[in-house]
This record gives sequence, C-alpha cells and structure tokens, in this order.
Amino acid sequence: MLIYTINRILHMIPVLFVLTVVVFLFMQMLPGDVIDTLIGDEEAEDPETRALLMKEYGLDQPIYVQYGVWIGKVFQGDFGKSLITRRPVSLELFESIPATVYLAIVGISLSILIAVPLGSIAAVKRNTPTDYAAQVTSLIGISIPEFWFAIMCVLLFSLYLGWLPSSGYMSPFEDFGQSIKYLILPAAAVGFRQAAYTTRLTRSSMLDEMNKEYVDTARSLGFSEKKVIYKYILRNAMIPTITISGLQLANLLGGTVVLETIFAWPGIGQAIYLAIIDRDYPLIQAGILVLGIIVVVVNLLVDLLYRVLNPRVALN
Amino acid sequence: MSQDEDKSEVTEQSGQSRRQFMATTGAVAGAAALGVSGTAEAARKRHPKRGGTLRFSTRSDSRGLDGHRNYYYYVSHPLAATSMGMFDLDLKMNPKPGIAVEHTVSKDMKTYTFKLRQGATFHDGSPIDANSVKWNFDRIQNPKIGHSFTRSSIKDVNRVEIVDNSTIRCHLDNPSGVLIPSLTYYPVQFMSPNSAANADNHPIGAGPFKFVSWKKYDKTIVERNENWWETDDQGNALPYLDKIIGSPKKEDRVRLTALRTGEVDLIENMAYTDAVGFKKKYGDKFNTWDVPQVGTGYLGFNLKSGPFSYSNGAKGKMMRQAAAHAINHEAIHQAVFSGLSEKARGFYSKASPWFMPELERKYEYDPDKARFLLKKSGGMDEKLVLTSRDAYAYMHQTGEISHAMLTEAGFNISHEIHPYAVLKSKWKKGEYSIDSTANSYRPDPDRWFSANVISTSSNTKLRTGFNNPKADKLIIEAKATLEMSKRKELYQAVEEIVNEELPMIYTHFIPLTCAATQNLMGYEPAFNGPYSTQRAGIRTAYMA
Repeated sequence: MLIYTINRILHMIPVLFVLTVVVFLFMQMLPGDVIDTLIGDEEAEDPETRALLMKEYGLDQPIYVQYGVWIGKVFQGDFGKSLITRRPVSLELFESIPATVYLAIVGISLSILIAVPLGSIAAVKRNTPTDYAAQVTSLIGISIPEFWFAIMCVLLFSLYLGWLPSSGYMSPFEDFGQSIKYLILPAAAVGFRQAAYTTRLTRSSMLDEMNKEYVDTARSLGFSEKKVIYKYILRNAMIPTITISGLQLANLLGGTVVLETIFAWPGIGQAIYLAIIDRDYPLIQAGILVLGIIVVVVNLLVDLLYRVLNPRVALN
Repeated sequence: MSQDEDKSEVTEQSGQSRRQFMATTGAVAGAAALGVSGTAEAARKRHPKRGGTLRFSTRSDSRGLDGHRNYYYYVSHPLAATSMGMFDLDLKMNPKPGIAVEHTVSKDMKTYTFKLRQGATFHDGSPIDANSVKWNFDRIQNPKIGHSFTRSSIKDVNRVEIVDNSTIRCHLDNPSGVLIPSLTYYPVQFMSPNSAANADNHPIGAGPFKFVSWKKYDKTIVERNENWWETDDQGNALPYLDKIIGSPKKEDRVRLTALRTGEVDLIENMAYTDAVGFKKKYGDKFNTWDVPQVGTGYLGFNLKSGPFSYSNGAKGKMMRQAAAHAINHEAIHQAVFSGLSEKARGFYSKASPWFMPELERKYEYDPDKARFLLKKSGGMDEKLVLTSRDAYAYMHQTGEISHAMLTEAGFNISHEIHPYAVLKSKWKKGEYSIDSTANSYRPDPDRWFSANVISTSSNTKLRTGFNNPKADKLIIEAKATLEMSKRKELYQAVEEIVNEELPMIYTHFIPLTCAATQNLMGYEPAFNGPYSTQRAGIRTAYMA
C-alpha cells in the first residue's frame, strides 16, 4: 500500500503541473487585466502609470518568465502576494479554505449519515412503502435546486421560527456552539441534496450485492440476516457510495459559490470568483493549485479506502 | 502668510448664507464655535448613556486595507470609519474642519496654506503634524501607490511645503478653486506614516474608529477612537458607539433577511423592489432612510468610433438624438428604481447644492420621432452593442430596459453585461456603442466635469471620447472660479452642451435606502457615506 501511495503521489505532480499551466494560460486569454482593475477609471489611461505598475507586479515579463518565477516560488512554499489586497496569498487562502473544508466535511458527513441508512433500508425492504418513500424523498431531493432549498430553509428556520441565523460564519475555534448554529443551514442545504443522490446509489448497490452468490453462501452458513446485511452486503455496497461521496466532497471543497452567497459564507468558491473578476492572478493560481491538490488527495484517500473496505481490491 | 494671500474667515456662523460660504470654498476657522473641539483632550468626556456595538451589513467589502491604494475603501464600509481627510463635510456637503482647521488661499489660487488641528493624533498616538500630512500627500501622489481616484483629486498639487510643525502649504500647477472639496474624505484618506510598512495588514488611520481586524467578505471590526476630537452639542465626545462589526453580504435580500432576523442592526443598499413594500409592511418595526443621490446614472455613447461617433458626422449625432428620443425615463424610473429615484437632466439632483433647476432635457421621450430620426440617419442596419456592468443591478437593468426601448425604436442593438475588467477592455478597443453606467456623487462638480466631460481627461478619452472646445473652456474657467453662483452658471452652460451634443444621456439619480432596527438611535445617512459627515451618520449613532 505504501508503494501504491507513493506512486499515486508521484502521479499527482504532472497532473498539477498541467493544471497550473492551463490555468495560467487561460487567465492570460481573458479580456482585461489586473492593472485595469487597480488603476480604476480616473487617469485610467496614463501609460506611464500602467508601465510602472506592470513592472511593479512583474507583468511586463513574457508569460513563460512570469510562470517560471511563480512556480519557482511555489516550490519554496511562497504563493506570492495578492495583487489586489497585497496580502500573502497563503493568508488569503488560509482565511477562506477552513470555512469551505468545515462546510464540505460536515455537509458530506450529514449526507452519508442520511443516505447510507436510508438507502440500505430501502434496499432491504424493497418494493414496500418504506422503499417507495425513500425513493420519492430522494427523487425530490435531486429535483429541488440547492439554492431554492437553501432559501426555503432560511425562510422557515431563520425568518419564521427564528431558531438559526440566516447567514454568516463563525470559526469553531472561536465559539463552537455559535459556529454550529451558523453551520446547520448551509450544511443541511449541502447535505440533503448530496444525500438524495447517495441514497439512490446505496440502494442500487445494495440490491446488486444482495443478488450475488456470496450472500446466499453466507445465509446457507447460518449467519444472521443482520450480519449478512451489515457485515457483507453493506460493506461491499459501500464502494460505489464511497466513490461518489469522495467526488462530492472534492466538488464541495472546490467551493459552492451560490450557497456561499446565500449564506454569506466566506469560502474558497467566492474568494476565487472575486479573484477572477479582479484578475488577481496569484490568488487564482494558488487557489486552483490548492484545490487541485485537495481533489487529488481526496481521490487517493477514496482509493485507499476501497482497500480497507475490501482487502481483495488490488491497489495497482 | 504672504502679502497676496486672503485669510478665509467666513463660516456659516458668521451669518453668511451657505452659498456665500461655498463661494469662499468653505473657510473653516472658528472650529470651537462649530462644537468641534480644537484639541483631543477636550473631546474625552463620554456621554454617560450612549454607546454600544453596531452590527452593520454592507453590500460590498473593501478590496484591501491600504487607504491610499484602495478607493474601494468604501464610503460606507466600516473600514472607512478608520480614516479621514483634511476636511469633513456636513449634511449639505459643505466642507467642515477636519485635520485642517483653517486655510488661506492666494489670489492667484495657486497656493493654499493649511493650519492643522493641534493635538490631533493618529490611532497609534503619533501626531498629525505637517510632516505626516506631507508624507500622506507624497504617498498618494506616488503612481505606484496612490489609486487613480485618490491621486487625481490632488493632481494639481505640485509640491507640499512644511511651513512649521502645524502648517503646510500646497503649491499648485494651475489655479484651482476646488482643492478644498478634493481634500475631504473620499477621495483623500490620511494614515499614519508608521503604518506604511504594514498598511496592507493593519492600517493606522486618523478617523473616529480604530482598525481591529478584517477578514474579507466575513467580518470587519473597528472600535471607538477615544482620542477623536469631535464633540456633540453638550460637549460629549463623539463617536458614541464602542464598536462596529461589519459583515458584508452581497445579496440584497440576504442583508434584508439578516436585519429582519435581528442578526444585524443596520443595512445599506436595500433592493428598490424591497424598499417600497418594506417601509409599508415593517415601518413599525424598523427605521428606514433614503439618501436621494449617491450617484448619477447615464447612458454614455461611444463618440470615438462606430455609428454614434464623430466619424459618422451629422448622422452620428442624429442617431444619438434618435436614441435619446427612444429612452422612456419614466419607465426606467418605475421598473428599475420602483419609483424611488429622480429623473436626471444633469449630474446633480434637487438634494444637492449644485442642482440646476433651469436645465432641460433637450430630447424627450418620443418613439415616433426616434424612428423618424433613425430612418433619416440611415442607421437602422448598423449593428450596435449596449454594454452594462454586472456588479450593479440598476446598471444592467437600465441597460436591459434601454435595450428593449431602442430595439422598439428600430435600432439593431444587442445587450452585453460584463464585469469591470472586460468592460474596460471593450472601452479601450471601442467595442461598444452605448454603455449603461453611473458615477458616484461628487461633492464638487469639478470632480465630475474635469474627469468625465472635459476632452483632455483620460477617462473621457477612454469612455465617451467627447470633445467640445467650448465645454472644455467653461470647465477650466469654472475650476479657476471661487464664487459658487458663477461656477454654477458655467457648469449649467456645460450641461446644456452635454444635453445638446449627447455624449451621454443622464437617466436617473441613484437613490440609496438604509434600514435599521429601532434601537439604533441618532443615525442619519449622508451623500458621502455615514462616517465622514460631521455630527451625523454613524458618528452620532448609538444603540438604545
């Protein structure tokens, strides 16, 4: 497993390299540049000022030189400074990534906590009212747009019932109780929709596994139905569930701009969106690189988890 | 003081009218008479009952912390409370004593001498003296640092001379009667020279509140500056509030919901569609205020290239006239601003001292005439592009409605909504025909006309490309004139040219509605934001 892990980490390098090159080139192709944003309207076209600022920010260099300088610094752990706030990019990311990670992990955990039992029960009690109810619920979950569900949650739990704050964020290290209050609605908005997908997937995986020969063998050996379901069927059925949850987690870690806007949640999605609008190249580059690393690492963890769930899965 | 200088001693307290006061560009002697203490020591007596923490939700966040680099150091953002300029403003936009308590101007209007407030300090305790003020001027004028908005406001200042520890003298390149309004907060924000190295992380200003922390689009905390020099009528120190916690929420309804659920005490920029109903439905639970004009909306034509341009000669002008006749201002007023705005015929609204009541819109809404003129110009088949900015709903909504009205009149026009960087690229390349845009309120008209109408301005060159020698001459003359009534006449003549030549069609004055819980007391919003208005805004606010 160690060699496999090292191999996968080595494979990450070209993936991330290509990612940074593509993003770098893509940003150069966008109309408008950061100097336009920095200069503003008045005295906007003073060539001297433009030239000064271009030099100040190293934008007067050819693209490959700019890229080389940037990647060289990254290897030394320096993401540079935001061209807009002029604060270290690492600080900018450090302020937004924890909020995103917090929301994504709790959201996805909530999703698994709902989806796995619901999908399993639906499969075990297939074609019964319980199964139908689970299927209809998950279908509704898939059909309802996330932002609409979020708005409805705010209306009900914040505006009418007054139980929870409608928007904002608090770090769990600042005030854990309050932070949970701020988290519940965004996490629910994230979790319920993901749970809808995962419930259906868990159900169908369970049904697939239930029809396999090893299940009959286990039953013929006299194992209890509970043991057959939870020790054998569910364990094997979890592989696709883990796969999709891993992808969902990676997706959420990439930021959810709409939900972040509705809940005024200061996450990475909004930070990168604003950086793109302002053409804040170092922040965009670093943000996407960090997200790329997160996605690759999550995928690696998911692959390693396969092995934990089913030792017969070959890691090669 | 040199022989050719006039000491400005006229204040509102001297019995002269505001107009006369403005005519002498607001001399600011007699600070004590204004209820503004001359020294920091006098302002330490706190009101026994007024204080509290204000939770304020703004639409936008600041883009950075260094006040010289960021003009998005918003007027309403709590960070704006940490800084101030040479002068304050009152609710009627008259300059009032700030860091400068007295000034003189030479007869040729090229030399201004400022007496600085004794005992005033930055938040780190360092004195606001001639050296630190000169340092601020120099830093703002450094093109590598000063934002163009800030820098352009003092571009006439050639050199700042230190006369003594509490006196500076500004030597200008050109005669200017408009330096004083240009030195109020927004555009000019002063900071401690000691904070230069760390200004992007922890700015040290001179405003009524001190910086504590900032997390972008999350939370801003500022706390009361106990050494602020301003007092109320009873001599109690201002500001009253102990702390402001800012929590920007971009979406209008997210802010409104936060107000209704009690998560914040004050919000700004209520959506126009919400504002009307909110006042009726929740007027008993919340207070609302309308600021009549925080900006002016207009449709700017591209006169540099394309069908509306000078290169198209008389046909270009005829097409602009056709477009002007196609625009139904009442429809925009109702549909975009829910009837809350005021239709514009010039840059300044009725609420401004620079309002020009005699101004007339030359080309009123008349779709038949629009069609006739368009046909006559032969511009029906010209492919046109109307652009607008995505960040402000009223801009692209006005763009959408204008697009529909122009299409109705027979124009072959498309509508594109873009972020600022893309728009700027299009302006440079001339890839637009009309731009639905707006400009923020300027306390002095020169900041509008010299930046957006005069042909030599880089912004005019970038945007409309308007070039009218007569208008240029009038703008230059107005800038070198002190008397307000005379300046107003000159600017009115410019506006008449604008309304005739149509480099732009003024559409509406952009209103702003704020709302607050009823336990916010003493608050009064202002044109230029709630922090830089003397004895008003958030300086006099407190929580009951």
